Amino acid sequence: MKLNTEFMRETFIASLGGVPKTFLITILTLLVSIPIAFSMALSKLENKNVSSKIVTGYVSLIRGTPIVLQILFIYSLLPSTLNYLIKDVFGLSYNIFKMNKIVYAIIVFSLNNIAVLTELFRSALGTVGHGQMEAAMTVGLSKRQAYARIIIPQALVAALPNLCNTVIGLIKNTSLAFLMAVQEITAISKMKAASGYYYIEAYLMIALIYIIVCTVVQLLFAVIEHQLSGYKKRLAV
Amino acid sequence: MLKVKNVSKAFKDNQVLKKVDLEVEKGDVVVILGPSGSGKTTFLRCIDFLEKADGGEIEFDDIKTDLNHASAKTIEKIRKKSAFVFQNYNLFANKTALQNVTEGLTVARKVPKAEAIEIAKKALDKVGLSDKYDSYPVQLSGGQQQRVGIARAIAVNPDIILFDEPTSALDPELVGEVLKIMRELAKEGITMIVVTHEMKFAQDVATKVVFMDGGVVVEEGSPKEIFTKPKEERTREFLMRILPDFDYTI
Repeated sequence: MKLNTEFMRETFIASLGGVPKTFLITILTLLVSIPIAFSMALSKLENKNVSSKIVTGYVSLIRGTPIVLQILFIYSLLPSTLNYLIKDVFGLSYNIFKMNKIVYAIIVFSLNNIAVLTELFRSALGTVGHGQMEAAMTVGLSKRQAYARIIIPQALVAALPNLCNTVIGLIKNTSLAFLMAVQEITAISKMKAASGYYYIEAYLMIALIYIIVCTVVQLLFAVIEHQLSGYKKRLAV
Repeated sequence: MLKVKNVSKAFKDNQVLKKVDLEVEKGDVVVILGPSGSGKTTFLRCIDFLEKADGGEIEFDDIKTDLNHASAKTIEKIRKKSAFVFQNYNLFANKTALQNVTEGLTVARKVPKAEAIEIAKKALDKVGLSDKYDSYPVQLSGGQQQRVGIARAIAVNPDIILFDEPTSALDPELVGEVLKIMRELAKEGITMIVVTHEMKFAQDVATKVVFMDGGVVVEEGSPKEIFTKPKEERTREFLMRILPDFDYTI
């Protein structure tokens, strides 16, 4: 078998055009899900009441279903539901079916990511000993101040390796956005491939782009971790 | 100055404290002794609201409240008048020694930063850590960490310092450096309540010794009374076990 290198070059360049969209979905998803997941993790740790039960139920529901199923569900259900709400309940004339499909992608990935990140943050917050919270209380800090100044900075550092995993997982999952007709890396390559039946070439290029993107993200996290974890080093610098 | 009365606390079915009373006058060094599981640490933690007592009252200067129904504001007031030294130091791992000490000043008490740093440096000098201002807890030995813990406590100029087994987690050769500082604080007239197993410290420094067992105060008195002529059988048994050369007159 001989690979069509010219096609590969073309596909690579064309698919690179999907990278900004992949990043856009990833970053917006993180911006939506991180604060929500963090407050859900805190509610799970701080109160053992109804809200923490709801959080637990939500996390189990999301973790118990494949992301493809979540995408199919939301993509079939959400547009018509929104249309009904806008037209019949609020009486507006906005055409929901014209809305950029990327919004649905962000909604699905956020719903999914919130569940993953809630557990991630909960375990990270757990790594900071309860004693430090007590010490903060005894020197007169409020709970909020203790979280902001003592607990969360350390939990973040503890969360970084897992957060890196999650972000990379999210980036790779955005390839599923082609199911929602979003023109990201995978969708562009697949379309190019279909035009000339050069599937293997196209898949190789998709892989190459994801490897590059994910490596960059890993390096970025390594740098951040190095910057933030100075207090863990045994020898003074 | 500090009066706590009728403190009760249960963990599930385990009644840890059964109506414990304690009175502390200004300048007192109260040492609480007792076998493990006797409730002494829980009692100390209830005073600073680290543990919510099931019942009991506290009177601290002009603040008076129920231990179970204290408002957040009252708790904050009492915490700002007191300081706590933990068995496991509980230093803020992401802060340097100096920042560990300034935290309670700048954030909780709104002391200007420059002034807070001055106070913190003085406190660290006092515990013999003038060369460790910028070290993180992980870079310090256990004894040094506990001394930072003590500096953090004295820097806020509290009316009382509560010590919860401050030397129990330390290697034997590091115990001395921490006790030495506590002796100095006692000499300066700082009021403290100390839960400890250091009998020598209790004998030399305490103005009052409280012996607890099974969630009640069995006996209290001056060190001389407790160590040379304890009235209660349980106190005698405990002292005999813990002091090999214990000898009392009947």
